[in-house]
Amino acid sequence: MTQVLLIILAPIIGGLLYGFERKLRARMQNRVGPPLLQPFYDTLKLMDKQAFLINPYHSILGIMHFFTLWVVVAFVILEENLLYIVFLHLLSAIFLILAGFSVRSIFSHIGANRELLSIIAYEPILILVAVGFFMSVGSFEIATIRENSSQLLSMFLLFLSFLLIIPVKLKKSPFDAVEAHQEIVGGVEIEFSGIFYEFLYMAKWLEYIFIFLLLSLFAGDNIALAISLFISVFLVLNLVDNATARIKMAHLIKIVLTLGLSLGLLNLIGLSYV
Amino acid sequence: MHTLLIILPILFAGIILVNKTATKNLVAIFFVAVLALASLVSYFSFESPYVADLPHFSHSLFIFVDIVLLLYFLVQGIVKTHSVVTLLSLAQLVLYGVLLSLSQTISSSDILIDKLSIMMYLIINMVGGIIIIYSLKYIQSEELSEFKKRSFIALEFFFLAVMNFLVSTNNIEIFFMLFEFTTLCSYLLIGYRSDAIATSNALKALWMNQIGGVVILLALILSSLHYDTIHFDLLIANIEDIYLIPIALLGVAAFVKGASIPFESWLLGAMVAPTPVSAMLHSATMVKIAPFLMLKLAPAMSEFVSLSITLFGTFVFFTASLMALSKDYFKEILGLSTIALLALMMAMASIGTAEAIEACLVLMVFHAISKALLFLQAGILEKSFHLKYMKDIDGLIDKSPLVVFFIVIGFASLTLPPFGAFIAKFMAIESISELIALNPLYAISLLFIALGSVFLTLLYFKVLTKLFAKDIDTKESSKIIISKYYSYTSFALVALLVLGIFVSYKMQLLNSFEIFIPTLLILTTLILFASTFFKKAHRVKEYYCGEKERLSVNMYYFNIPESFIKTVHLVSVLFLIVLVLGVLL
Repeated sequence: MTQVLLIILAPIIGGLLYGFERKLRARMQNRVGPPLLQPFYDTLKLMDKQAFLINPYHSILGIMHFFTLWVVVAFVILEENLLYIVFLHLLSAIFLILAGFSVRSIFSHIGANRELLSIIAYEPILILVAVGFFMSVGSFEIATIRENSSQLLSMFLLFLSFLLIIPVKLKKSPFDAVEAHQEIVGGVEIEFSGIFYEFLYMAKWLEYIFIFLLLSLFAGDNIALAISLFISVFLVLNLVDNATARIKMAHLIKIVLTLGLSLGLLNLIGLSYV
Repeated sequence: MHTLLIILPILFAGIILVNKTATKNLVAIFFVAVLALASLVSYFSFESPYVADLPHFSHSLFIFVDIVLLLYFLVQGIVKTHSVVTLLSLAQLVLYGVLLSLSQTISSSDILIDKLSIMMYLIINMVGGIIIIYSLKYIQSEELSEFKKRSFIALEFFFLAVMNFLVSTNNIEIFFMLFEFTTLCSYLLIGYRSDAIATSNALKALWMNQIGGVVILLALILSSLHYDTIHFDLLIANIEDIYLIPIALLGVAAFVKGASIPFESWLLGAMVAPTPVSAMLHSATMVKIAPFLMLKLAPAMSEFVSLSITLFGTFVFFTASLMALSKDYFKEILGLSTIALLALMMAMASIGTAEAIEACLVLMVFHAISKALLFLQAGILEKSFHLKYMKDIDGLIDKSPLVVFFIVIGFASLTLPPFGAFIAKFMAIESISELIALNPLYAISLLFIALGSVFLTLLYFKVLTKLFAKDIDTKESSKIIISKYYSYTSFALVALLVLGIFVSYKMQLLNSFEIFIPTLLILTTLILFASTFFKKAHRVKEYYCGEKERLSVNMYYFNIPESFIKTVHLVSVLFLIVLVLGVLL
């Protein structure tokens, strides 16, 4: 029952998290920042707007992106197979990419291209992390991972490479070239408006939930550790976001892949000797 | 039933060759239906492996046919003044002579039909049959004589017969003959347009595949000398870990047929042929011999052989996917992705655990269906839209949403849940993960698979860049209707893919949740596409940042330097040498 409730509330929790993050970031920059519920005020406003669209395919794919991501989060909450979830998440990313390509907008195309390229950066690392869990606890099932004690120490290098891809997924500096506000006007997002943009907006919140749920897996059955991991990563993430400048897409891939994959590979080889 | 599967296509080929009546297409469709039915019956009536011996005179016949075949290659080499073909034909003739002078005392049955064979029957006859129906229409639009058109279809039927025979044999000598026959078929089919480039590519396919023939003959001679047998089952049953050289050599033959790097250029060269040929070679026939052979050999592999083939296979998977990212020619992209996936299948087969073998089989079946579907679309693009290069395929969705639908499904079925190829990839990662604990070198294989599969995803969906771009809803339609032969065959393949989802649910390859949910998501998208138009929403133009000039983005390519490809070739050749030498030492 709690699981069902969690699944239904996931976008709302994500929205709160997003609102809190804006507040936190503002405090870091010595601003007052928007109210905590700002994302929901935005939602109400977006729903009230007149609907504009370029072609129906574009809007449908955007909506499907949101729903697929919701399903992915549901699978994590229901403690399904981690490796499977990584690939299901790919399906949601593909919907977004196809949406980006389905209009003749140069910014949307560049954004979708970068979205595609960012898959190169994070997908192999997610796979390695899943395999790391498999080697540590003997199963890809999240249920098993949560029953076991924390794997943070034995998978520390994989944990580091996972940290590396969090900014890529959440579009944070220095790895936010995918969205790159000023430069490509939001990329894929640009051609969505009103109620259709709302879905993309909410999908972003779900991405937060997804990433932090994965993060909590490193804590295993230790809830206190999970909470402290979440708080510290959340803080560091925003600190880094505030303190660094955006780097180019090519550099992003190079850094994440070389560093992340070698860390992951070392960790896996290490695990095989344990 | 299996006898029918071998004899009927030859008979059909003969009838088609002489049948000039107006109903010849209907006759061919009927023949395909018969073959498909026969393969289904043999699949569902399978209870236990079936063994049989061929009558004695047939062996003399096979020897005669073999020599004629090798002489034909020799003549081709001399007439076309291709010294490599000539030399390899001579080498094969000499080796074959040596082999004939040896006699083996232990003998087993010539025919062995096991579960693998009946699976192969399904792939060969169902997918191959659909491609034949497609080519009935396709070949009409070629500038060839009526006789050549008929013989094209006949040759395809003959190819199916050879393949059906090949997967039923247990005798490596007969296997060699059929191996050479597939080489012959591909040589004839690739050279079908008989212009300069077709001829040179056909010769390339010939000599590369002849290398496979040479190593099979060497394996035969060594096996005959050491193990006193030329049968798969006896060789595998009696295998000694200190004398694995026949297995390693047969493995090399598999890599040749599977067009693995460094032999990839013969398969890529095949794209100059009429598109159904590529569809045939890539999906139902020819290259599928590679994983088939690996699956046969897997039980006899030592840890060294299995590990090196796995490492090499995943390495090829990775590099071929990477190389495909730099290509623009639709068929070349498809070709390199075939090479990548075949290498993955061989790697899985050589691992030999129950799950890895299942992964290999699932991938074999679904790769055949998806690749056939994609190649049919490549043919349609060429014939109906005069398109060959991805960069020209701009806004195809306005002209033919149907073809776009097929291409998207084709690509999606190779990467995304709930389709079979995805399940296979999933199982591949699972089975490799289990091995890392035993040998850390498998971690490198895992890395290759993880990267390679991401590259393939990137490749498939970057191709869609151009395909999908749609203008603001336009009322006037510029739609082009494609021939029924094309659309129905494509629909048949899509139906097979959907059936595959159902079968993988029945077999419980994934739990029902994991199959049902993505199916629902994809189905919903399609239904929404067809039904929802958001009539109330206002149509607007794209945002251009105030620019007056309309800009558009082209597809991006990865620039892969020539030196990289050379290095890859060098590494692959070294790998194969290490494989063979390592077994010797």
